[in-house]
Amino acid sequence: MTNETTPPAKPKRPFFLRRGPMENIATALIAVGFLMLFQPFALVLYTYSLVTLLAGTVMFIIVSKFPE
Amino acid sequence: MTDNNTTLLDKAAEKAVRATPVPLVYRVRGLSDRSIAWLFILPTIVLLLAINIFPLIWAVYLSFTNFRANRPNAEIEGVGFSNYQRVLTDPDIWQAMQTTAHFVFWTILLQMLIGFALAYLIDRKFRGHAFWTTVILIPMMLSPAVVGNFWRFLYQPQIGLFNYVYAFFTGVEPSSFQMLGSVTLSPWAIIIVDTWMWTPYVMLICLAGLRSIPDYIYEAAEVDRASAWRQFWSITVPMALPFIMLAVLFRAIENFKMFDMVVLLTGGGPGSTTEVASITLKREAFESWRTGRASAFAIILFVAVFGLANIYVKALNRVKQR
Amino acid sequence: MSTANTAHSVVEPSQTSKRIAGAIIILYAIITMVPLAWIFLTSFKSPPDSISYPPKVVFQPTLEGYCNLFTTRTRQTPEYIQSLGAPVSTCDEITRNRNMVIAGPSNYWPRFQNSLIIAFGSTFLAVFLGTLSAYGFSRFKVPLADDILFFILSTRMMPPIAVAIPIYLMYRELGLSDTALGMILLYTAVNVSLAVWLLKGFIDEIPREYEEAAMIDGYTRLQAFRKVVLPQATTGIAATAIFCLIFAWNEYAFAVLLTSGSAQTAPPFIPTIIGEGGQDWPAVAAGTTIFLVPILVFTILLRKQLLRGITFGAVRK
Repeated sequence: MTNETTPPAKPKRPFFLRRGPMENIATALIAVGFLMLFQPFALVLYTYSLVTLLAGTVMFIIVSKFPE
Repeated sequence: MTDNNTTLLDKAAEKAVRATPVPLVYRVRGLSDRSIAWLFILPTIVLLLAINIFPLIWAVYLSFTNFRANRPNAEIEGVGFSNYQRVLTDPDIWQAMQTTAHFVFWTILLQMLIGFALAYLIDRKFRGHAFWTTVILIPMMLSPAVVGNFWRFLYQPQIGLFNYVYAFFTGVEPSSFQMLGSVTLSPWAIIIVDTWMWTPYVMLICLAGLRSIPDYIYEAAEVDRASAWRQFWSITVPMALPFIMLAVLFRAIENFKMFDMVVLLTGGGPGSTTEVASITLKREAFESWRTGRASAFAIILFVAVFGLANIYVKALNRVKQR
Repeated sequence: MSTANTAHSVVEPSQTSKRIAGAIIILYAIITMVPLAWIFLTSFKSPPDSISYPPKVVFQPTLEGYCNLFTTRTRQTPEYIQSLGAPVSTCDEITRNRNMVIAGPSNYWPRFQNSLIIAFGSTFLAVFLGTLSAYGFSRFKVPLADDILFFILSTRMMPPIAVAIPIYLMYRELGLSDTALGMILLYTAVNVSLAVWLLKGFIDEIPREYEEAAMIDGYTRLQAFRKVVLPQATTGIAATAIFCLIFAWNEYAFAVLLTSGSAQTAPPFIPTIIGEGGQDWPAVAAGTTIFLVPILVFTILLRKQLLRGITFGAVRK
């Protein structure tokens, strides 16, 4: 759409400070939390689903502030 | 790209704008852009803070107390995390989560399959497809509560149309099964109604996905002599996937909160076979009046939905870039 | 682009496949419409016809359902009914044939009015606030714009029951429970998020140059907004308004938890319609039909904007 050219290559940020991969981890964490909330197998997993979901969500909010 | 269709006049105007020292212009004539921006946005934010965020914070506070809404004068005591502990170790609430999961899984699966198939067929662009698409879309615009209520009529064991039609095609006795009264059938009664109602939603988004695939990709595939089957799996499905994900996520969020339709169809019964999370929550909050514990449960549901909403917005943005 | 004009274009499906696709879609559409058609038919049946087995497709149409929907009736002796004068209306006559007299209006019409007031009130407010904020987000650099927009959207995703607990307590304190004002504020809050997202999409599509030209001509920013942007955004505003209207019209969870009488809307009321000896299905069907007709009309008006509406403006086709 716009006429933006590709940005010049920057020195790579360390893995845990880049947005893409960290966002995927957070997404996975939320998904896992959701499955834990729903699964019929172990009450323990259900009990810890909230913590997992919360961790995933908080992480998602934080890492979405990182540059691409 | 936007510059292509602007007229000469517009361009002249634009140049003039650039030539004028901007802050000066606005300061002379009334409010600055900055103050207008806030003036325009603040009322919405204030409303949402008052009606949504303040209550939410209050609910967080209540979730750490033993408050009961039917005894407003009783002393409120902080109970720490025990409400959360109770909710997260209660087998009945766990059961309600599984009931919800059952609905979410089956409704999404059915709606995806039927919805995508319908979208694929509508994309053949047969004569009159626009009209029939509109007809198909009608159920999703209706009120889930009213829909639930009239399906209850269709599901009546002796007089209901559903039983009659099913019996007509299968030969079983129409009064021999009760869609809403039986432990095995009642979840399916709800899944059928939800699928009837929301398949059009999935179809519409899938259709947008299919239409976003440029023709030249298929043409190139044809040149390469890729079979129709191959084209479907290596072009159609992957290219429509972001849209499908969008539909899945939104249906998951919505069905996770499912309330109206279930209340009107079965009310959670028979027994507690169709008692989804929202109904359990309503019972805790407005029938048992355990407000503190219900608030904790509400916060748990909220966190789950909020997590999904984050992913949903990410999916929205991905689709937007197309 | 080389979209071939020949009959055997790769992308253009063959006639046979089109015909098969059309047949399946039409079949699905008809099946999908059966429940709605059935409710419509039932609303014109007499109570015995409505519960007959096998279900009757051909029957003597009557307005009894509609009469029962709008009135309350009491059973009287035939002698008493004889002693009354000639029936004054069709409903009067139908009721007397069942050995009953009309005792007064039912609650349906007041509930329907509540639905109208609350739906239109909240739609107006939501669209008003939504247009302003959408313009703000579309044209100005707002700090943390993405986060605020996400916050606005996320409020719509909240489970209604989860929010209902504190709202219930808050409204009880403020004296807003079971008032139209309370419901209007609540639905406005839910709808404004949709309005902001949808309208931002529509306003983004209006070229900035129009306003800038107007401002060169001596308009202030506010005048340019009113006289240039608003007229351009009419379609978008209308579509957004219809979406808000439909949501407020259909809403059940908040309505059933927060209203009980004077501000109750139609959706929680319709299921409670009962006649003598069980649910009065023709009356329920009549209430449902009247309630659904506006939505059918709106759906047809909106058909081109539906996709936008259900994806919060992200997919524009």
